[in-house]
Amino acid sequence: MRPRWRKVFLDLFEHKGRTLLVVLSIAIGVFSIGVISGAYVIISNDMSASYAANQPANVEIRMSDFDDDLLAAIRNLHEVGDAEGRRVFNMRVRSTQEDQWVTLDIVAVDDFATNVLNLLTPVAGVSAPGRNEILLEQEAVEALRVQVGDELVFQLPGGSLKTLTVVGIVQDSLTGVDDFLAPPCGYITLSTLPRLGQAQTFNRIYASMAEGQDDVLHIRTVADDLRERIERSGYMVVRTSISLTHEHPLASTVNAILGILLALGVLIVFLSSSLIANTLNALLNQHLRHIGVMKLVGGRNRQVFVMYLVLIMAFGVLSLLLAVPLGGQGAYALSAYIAEQLGFTLQGYRIVPLAFAVQIAIGLLVPLVSGLVPVVSGSRVTVLKAISGDLAREAEAGSGSRGRVKRETGWERFQTRVTAALARRGIQIPRPLLISLRNTFRRRGRLVLTLFTLTMGGAIFIAVFNVQITLDDYISAIGRYFLADVSLDFDRPYRLSEVEQLATQVEGVVDVEGWLFLSADVLDPDGMVVENIDILAPPADSVLVSPILVAGRWIQPGDERRLAISEAILAIFPDLQPGDLLRLKINGHEEDWEVVGIFKFVGREGILAYVPYEYIAAVSNLSNRSYSFRIVTTQHERAYQVMMGERLDSCFRQNGFHVRQAQAGLATLDKASESLDILVTFLLIMALLTASVGSMGLTGTMSMNVLERTREIGVMRAIGADDRAIMRTVIAEGMVIGMISWVLGVILSLPFSLLLSSIVSLAVFETPIALVFTPTGYFIWLGLVLVLSAVASIVPARNAARLTIREVLAYE
Amino acid sequence: MTVPSVHPCPTRTDASLENIIDLRGVVKTFKNAAGEFVVLKGIDLQIRPGEFVAVVGKSGSGKSTLLNMITGIDHPTSGQVIVGGTDIYHNMSESQRSRWRGCNLGIVFQFFQLMPMLSLLENVMLPMDFANMYDFDERTQRALELLSLVGLEGLAEKLPLAVSTGQQQSAAIARALATDPPLIVADEPTGNLDSHSADAIIALFHQLVDSGKTIMMVTHDPSVTARASRTVIIFDGQLIDETIVRALPLLRHRHMLEFSRLAERRTYPPGQTIISRQQQVDSLYMIARGEVEVVLQGRLRDDTVIARLGAGDFFGEIELLHGGRSIANVRASVDGPVELLVLPRDDFLRVIAESPITAEALGTIVQRRLEEHRAVDRRGVRLVGKKRSGGPR
Repeated sequence: MRPRWRKVFLDLFEHKGRTLLVVLSIAIGVFSIGVISGAYVIISNDMSASYAANQPANVEIRMSDFDDDLLAAIRNLHEVGDAEGRRVFNMRVRSTQEDQWVTLDIVAVDDFATNVLNLLTPVAGVSAPGRNEILLEQEAVEALRVQVGDELVFQLPGGSLKTLTVVGIVQDSLTGVDDFLAPPCGYITLSTLPRLGQAQTFNRIYASMAEGQDDVLHIRTVADDLRERIERSGYMVVRTSISLTHEHPLASTVNAILGILLALGVLIVFLSSSLIANTLNALLNQHLRHIGVMKLVGGRNRQVFVMYLVLIMAFGVLSLLLAVPLGGQGAYALSAYIAEQLGFTLQGYRIVPLAFAVQIAIGLLVPLVSGLVPVVSGSRVTVLKAISGDLAREAEAGSGSRGRVKRETGWERFQTRVTAALARRGIQIPRPLLISLRNTFRRRGRLVLTLFTLTMGGAIFIAVFNVQITLDDYISAIGRYFLADVSLDFDRPYRLSEVEQLATQVEGVVDVEGWLFLSADVLDPDGMVVENIDILAPPADSVLVSPILVAGRWIQPGDERRLAISEAILAIFPDLQPGDLLRLKINGHEEDWEVVGIFKFVGREGILAYVPYEYIAAVSNLSNRSYSFRIVTTQHERAYQVMMGERLDSCFRQNGFHVRQAQAGLATLDKASESLDILVTFLLIMALLTASVGSMGLTGTMSMNVLERTREIGVMRAIGADDRAIMRTVIAEGMVIGMISWVLGVILSLPFSLLLSSIVSLAVFETPIALVFTPTGYFIWLGLVLVLSAVASIVPARNAARLTIREVLAYE
Repeated sequence: MTVPSVHPCPTRTDASLENIIDLRGVVKTFKNAAGEFVVLKGIDLQIRPGEFVAVVGKSGSGKSTLLNMITGIDHPTSGQVIVGGTDIYHNMSESQRSRWRGCNLGIVFQFFQLMPMLSLLENVMLPMDFANMYDFDERTQRALELLSLVGLEGLAEKLPLAVSTGQQQSAAIARALATDPPLIVADEPTGNLDSHSADAIIALFHQLVDSGKTIMMVTHDPSVTARASRTVIIFDGQLIDETIVRALPLLRHRHMLEFSRLAERRTYPPGQTIISRQQQVDSLYMIARGEVEVVLQGRLRDDTVIARLGAGDFFGEIELLHGGRSIANVRASVDGPVELLVLPRDDFLRVIAESPITAEALGTIVQRRLEEHRAVDRRGVRLVGKKRSGGPR
């Protein structure tokens, strides 16, 4: 090996700590980009591929009961590729070992063997249940805590109990895929229906298109046509929904979230580049003498430049060796996690060429770009300047004999005057602390870069907490639209007074409201159905709905054919305003309804409208009666709600009521929160990665500071500073930097929170939501940044304390 | 000897000690790729409280290593270093030694080594903070007093870079005095100062010695050495016998060291004859302690003391350089015993032949002494009872 390459090699391995720091800081950026870009590619391919592989129906029609004749007629339509009928209903279920009831959506399939649409992926056990057997979706298995072979207890509306055996576990990538609030599913054959007290008929049609399976307009036209035919045949259509074969309904959401993660990954790369610049600057400074000597013996600028360039590339290559394999594994692990959460299957582990290329490009380019300036200026330094570098530094430090008397800078005068003024007021700052405070500002360029990385990490960290609380707050705000402490549903209508009288006898019940529900189609001016809406009819003065109004007013008693509608309607009629008329088709009749108000709601959950109970009850001949009741209890915690649900359920059953279900209000919301928690966890991981880059930056800075101040540390030892005093001085400096970054992070977290919450809310809820702040993030970050700063300074501080004075104070 | 402790301020030096510094057989060996290198070769050195000691030696002689041993900055390979009654390398960690140092000795560096980010006042307060000495509120007042002692009262709020190098060194001395240590160790304190500033610093040192401090100072500057109460020369890792330094100061250090090795130490009781008149003289005698009397015997066998020689003086040189027999009797003073360093004739002549300056100086002394002798012989007992002070310089 030629001497100069040998020098490069030695430079790389001489200071292992420094090399490790640079390599790790590049590697973290490369790793995050690798994970996210890899996951992005894997998920966008596999999510839709897996979705398509399960043959999603393009049209799903919820309707009144029907039989094979109607199904055969639909199958015969030339636009329809295939059609299947299923019966879907929900029921209270528990395992034989547990007391906890769970509401399960039960899907009855005619024949699992010939089933061609909305396929299930077997996970365990058999893939087709026999009579009195059931398959469970993975999520249901978790909720019910059962295994294959266990018995499940079903509570029929009349109160009687029936059991079915769990014979298999499946993954259902399609049912309720885009519904955060959907309950878990179980699958049975039609022959099991009588055992559960259900008619052996279908209530849903699933149809695929013969062609144009990814053409929204075509599918919508066919769906409208189907609907009309069905209605003409005397059936009632409750709801129609459509989806494309090759596009997962959540693809855009997942992509948006991966986009956010990608942006954070890019930020990490950016931050790590400032760390690299810092380290290389210090390295070049330390190597000034080497450079001088090399030039003295004939080294040219270009040769020196190339040497250090090779050194930088070596840092890059080392980090790639570390980050690329880990990034590939991480990408697949992240994809597998998302796939499991969203219920789709991956096509197997693979190397993503795009991610591989991006990682290599970043791993080599980022250090190159960030190191270019220090390397160019380092290689151009003159021999004289390089050789006299130490003397220059010594003079700069004020300890050189050659230094002439200088004027103090304004900043220096300010520092000493402030301290003196404080001292005059009796506030004495111990001198070791003064050293830490003033040292903090000595290398301002380095301080700025360190603060930048740490502040960014902190701001994102705090923002993630704000976003989490914002999402939680929004979810609970959504809850206020339709969820009481307990929802009590019956199989037949009961008089309000009757239910109220019995319910109020149950201890803990405060209020009872009867609600009605309705489904309608929104028609465009041409009379085409453009969307389904769910209409909720609470009492006009209901205490259980606190809407977030965007425009107009809320429903009032006496409103007739007037509704308040969720803002998702604006996606169809962007100019809709309160006072405008909306053409709806309800129970087969077309009617014009006046919009009185527009309110905020989760766009993904479809369009929701509210009308007064009193009006709907009157037109449905259900005056003073209802199927569904909302109950308010004295306490509102989940456990209490569950307990009250059980209590009300048994009370009403004992009194001969046909209870369908009594559900705790928070149960559904918790499910929604849980799915958002996954997102928040990812954001938090990214924030922690950012913070770790920040703290590595701080470690680097503190190490460089200690290295440059060995002489001062030696002097402190010489005049009586013990190990603890030296360590305290170094750690205090790190913590001062940490505190400054916290203050800056608090300020910067405001725009970050706004940005992140609006991106996330648009991606997840399809509506912007109001930002809510929580002190949690600020406090946790304060604690964390102090701990990180202390930890980041401990190694440099220990190194400082280990320096023997002989090493730092050369006498001769 | 006391067992060191670390809190709050370990082992303040006892002022009643016989020796404030006591080095016993100190060896220091450095190892590097080229092998082992012995820098200190068994140093024995005792310094009493209140002494102002200059340590002199060429570059690489080991004087800084010696200083590092005393300040606890480096540790010996073998031997004992007892400073202020504390064996500082026994049961004491580096960290504990730092604390001990902060309380017990002040260090003054050649390049001042003030903390550049602290004002002069804050620099002086720093050791008090480390040692946790004096009430927190008292520290400012004490630091101001120390700065005023070194003439910097008007510059207390200045940063080191904003004052002259002489003022920086004065501030460094004030800092060394911050915890009121009995011992000040200074490494070339005037090496970077102009002569005016250097004079001021040495004057300050004298003032400190007068107030009871002990000062040990490494220096190259002969004018500074001259103002110290004691000079210790180190050469090739060994201390030169101070008797030889005082007797033959113009000799090269190499030769002094050689004499230190070759000379024999002898003690004579009071009144005992060391050389008789007309006796063949084959050694140079250097007085380490006590006095000798040079006596001429009259015809009536009455003794005339023509000269009294004290510590640092030598005799026998006339006979060694000019040949012949002793021209007078030399005996130990009747007042007490005398300790002599006796150097064989051949060794003396060989070394003198290599040191023309010393030879010339000795020649002058011989000339003068012969003249004095002749004068006494011709004019009777003129010099009797008059003590000659000091040896040839």
